Amino acid sequence: MQVQSNDFIALADIAIHNPDLQQAVGMGTRTAYTKRAKSMFAHGDEHGEALRQQAAEAKRRALRNLPDLLETAETNLTKNGFKVEWAVDATEANNLVLEIAKRHGIKSVTKSKSMLSEELGVNHAMEKAGLRVVETDLGEYIIQLNDEPPSHIVAPVIHKTKPEIRDIFMRELGMEYTDDAGEMVAFARKMLRDDFLNADMGISGGNFIIAETGSLGLVMNEGNGRMCTTVPKVHIALVGIEKVIESVEDYTTLTQVLPRSGTGQNLTVYTNIINGPSREDEVDGPEHVYVIFVDNGRTDVYATNYAEALACIRCGACQNACPVYRSTGGHAYGWVYGGPIGAVLTPLYVGLENAAPLPHASSLCGSCKEVCPVDIDLPRMLLDLRWDLVQEGESKFGWDMGMKMWAVGMTSPARYNFGGVAARAGQFVMGDYMPGVLGNWTKYRDFPEFAPKSFHQLWKERNK
Amino acid sequence: MSSRDKILGKLRSAQKPFTEVAPIEERRHMVPMSPELTQDELLQRFTEEASALSCYVYHLNKNDAFEQIMDLIGDNKSVLSWAQDYIPLDGLHDKLSDAGISIADPKDGNVLVGISGVSSALAATGSLVMSSGAGQYRTTSLLPDRHIAVMTPDQLYVDFETWQQAQQAEGYPAFTKSSNTTLITGPSKTADIAQELIKGAHGPREVHIIVLK
Repeated sequence: MQVQSNDFIALADIAIHNPDLQQAVGMGTRTAYTKRAKSMFAHGDEHGEALRQQAAEAKRRALRNLPDLLETAETNLTKNGFKVEWAVDATEANNLVLEIAKRHGIKSVTKSKSMLSEELGVNHAMEKAGLRVVETDLGEYIIQLNDEPPSHIVAPVIHKTKPEIRDIFMRELGMEYTDDAGEMVAFARKMLRDDFLNADMGISGGNFIIAETGSLGLVMNEGNGRMCTTVPKVHIALVGIEKVIESVEDYTTLTQVLPRSGTGQNLTVYTNIINGPSREDEVDGPEHVYVIFVDNGRTDVYATNYAEALACIRCGACQNACPVYRSTGGHAYGWVYGGPIGAVLTPLYVGLENAAPLPHASSLCGSCKEVCPVDIDLPRMLLDLRWDLVQEGESKFGWDMGMKMWAVGMTSPARYNFGGVAARAGQFVMGDYMPGVLGNWTKYRDFPEFAPKSFHQLWKERNK
Repeated sequence: MSSRDKILGKLRSAQKPFTEVAPIEERRHMVPMSPELTQDELLQRFTEEASALSCYVYHLNKNDAFEQIMDLIGDNKSVLSWAQDYIPLDGLHDKLSDAGISIADPKDGNVLVGISGVSSALAATGSLVMSSGAGQYRTTSLLPDRHIAVMTPDQLYVDFETWQQAQQAEGYPAFTKSSNTTLITGPSKTADIAQELIKGAHGPREVHIIVLK
C-alpha cells in the first residue's frame, strides 16, 4: 500500500471538515470505548487489570522466545498437515500466493479480513495476475466496492454513515433503496453466498499461531472467515511472525481479552482453531492449507526498543480511545494502521522519514496504554520516536528558538519576573489572541487569563 | 540463504527482549466461577448466557425434542445433518426419513436448516464447541440459516479454560485429531453498518440449542 503519512496534517484537515466522517467515527469509537470498559471490568477492576497483565505476559513471553517458538510452530503445523512458507517482504509473500494459486489452478478467491494483507497489497497483486478477489467481511466488502482501504483495525468502514453505505450498495450493485441496516446485510449475504460457494481458494490472516499444537487461531463474528477457510479447496493464511504464541492456555486468555477490548464481547461468535487440511475421512474442509510467515519489517523492529509494538493483538481499543483518531479517523494516518498503534507501527515499518508527522499525532494523554489489552506503552514509544526524529535532524527553527528563549527566561529570577510582567502587559493589549504563529493555538481556544499578581508577588506581600 | 533462515537468523542475532518480565504466578479465568458447580447449576448458567446472546435454548425429553426439531424444520424438505452417531438423539434420522425429509450433501449451500450434535459446551460464555471429523461436518453449523444443536448436560464444561485443561490432560485431541475446532458463541452477526447489531451476517441467523433431559 502506498504511504501518504507525511501528508498527515493535510489529510487530517480534510477529515475534520467531513461531517459524515465526524459523525460516524465519533459515534463508532465512543460506543466501542464504552463497551470495552464494561466488558473488561465486568468482574471488578482488579480482576480486569490482572487479566490484562496475564495477556501482556503471554505475548511478551512469546516474543522473548520468538525464534524458538517459530521453529516449534513450524514443526507442529507441519505435523498437522499445514504447508509452511516464509517471506521476508511483501514481494516475496505475494509471489508465494501467486505461485500457490497457479499450482492449484485457482481462478477465484474469497478473502477474510487481514491487516497484514493490506500491508502486502496482496489483492492488487492477485488482480494483476487475473484472479478474481472478493473481500468478504461486510465492512471490507463495502470499502472494496468503494475502492478504499480500511480505516479501523476491527471496523474497517467505521468512517461511513448508514446512508453513505446504502448509496455504495445502490451505485455498485443495484440494491433497492432502503434505510434498514438489516436489509443491507441481507443483501450482502445474498450477493456473497455465491462467491463463497464458487471460490476455489480462501485467504485469511491469522490472529494467533499456537506453537504447542500447530494450530491457526482465527476470530470473527460474521462467519465469513469460516466460509473462506472451509469451502474452497485451498486455504492460505498470511501470518505475521509476531503472531506465534506458546500454548493453548495462552490462547484462552488472549482470545478472550481481544473481543472484550475490541467490541465488548466475551468471545467473538466464532473462535476458530484450524488444525490443517481436512482429514482423510472428512468430506468438507480444504485439501491444502498453507501458512505463510511474513516478516515485512518485523525482524527490524524486534531488534530495537520498539519490540513491544509487536505484542499488538489488533483489537482496535487504542484507536477507539484516542482523541486524535476520534477526530481524524484512520485514513489520515496515510497507511494501513491508524490511531496510536499506527502512529508507532507506520514509522517503524515504512521508515521514520516517510511518516514524520505521526509520532506527533498524539496528545500523550495515555489513554491508549490504559485500554491496551496487552499493556503496550504506546506513549513511551511515541516520545522515543520524537527523540529519534530530532536525532535524525528534524528541527523547527521556531520551536528551537522558543525553547532557547524559555531557557534564558527560566534561568534568572530577574528575567523570569520581567517575563511575567511582559506577558501580563501583552495580554492586556492583545486580549485572548496570540500574535503570529502562536495564533494557530488561539485560533480555536481562548488564551487563559493571567492572574493579576504572580505567586512570587503574593508571597512577598504575605511576608511583609 | 532461505527466507526462513534469514528471518530466524535475524531474530536470533537480536538481543532477547522482555527478559525482565516476570511470570504470572496465579493464572486467572476470564469469568470467575466456582469450579464446584453442580451440573444443574452449570446448565442454568449456560442457558442464561446463551439466551442473552439470543440463542434459543430448550430443555426437552426425547419425544418433545423430536417435535421441536420438526417444528423448526417446518416446510423444508431437506436439511444438513451430522451423522446419526454424533447426535445424541437416537432415531432422529429415521424420523426425518419417515417425514419425507432428506439429508442433503454437506456442501449444499442452499439448505436452510442444519442439525448437529456438539463436542462440548461452555457454561460461562454460552458457547458450543464443535470439532470436525467424519460425520461431524463443519458446514452444518455454518451454511444454513437455522442451526439446531442437540446436546446432553454432561457435555458442559465450566468455561473455556476448564475445557482447555481437560483437553491438555488428554493430549489436545481437538487440536491434533480434528482438523477444525470452533467455539460458537451466539448466531452469526455484524455491526459493520453504523454499529447496528444485525444477526445472520454469513453464518446462521438463528441458533437453537436442545438440551436433552
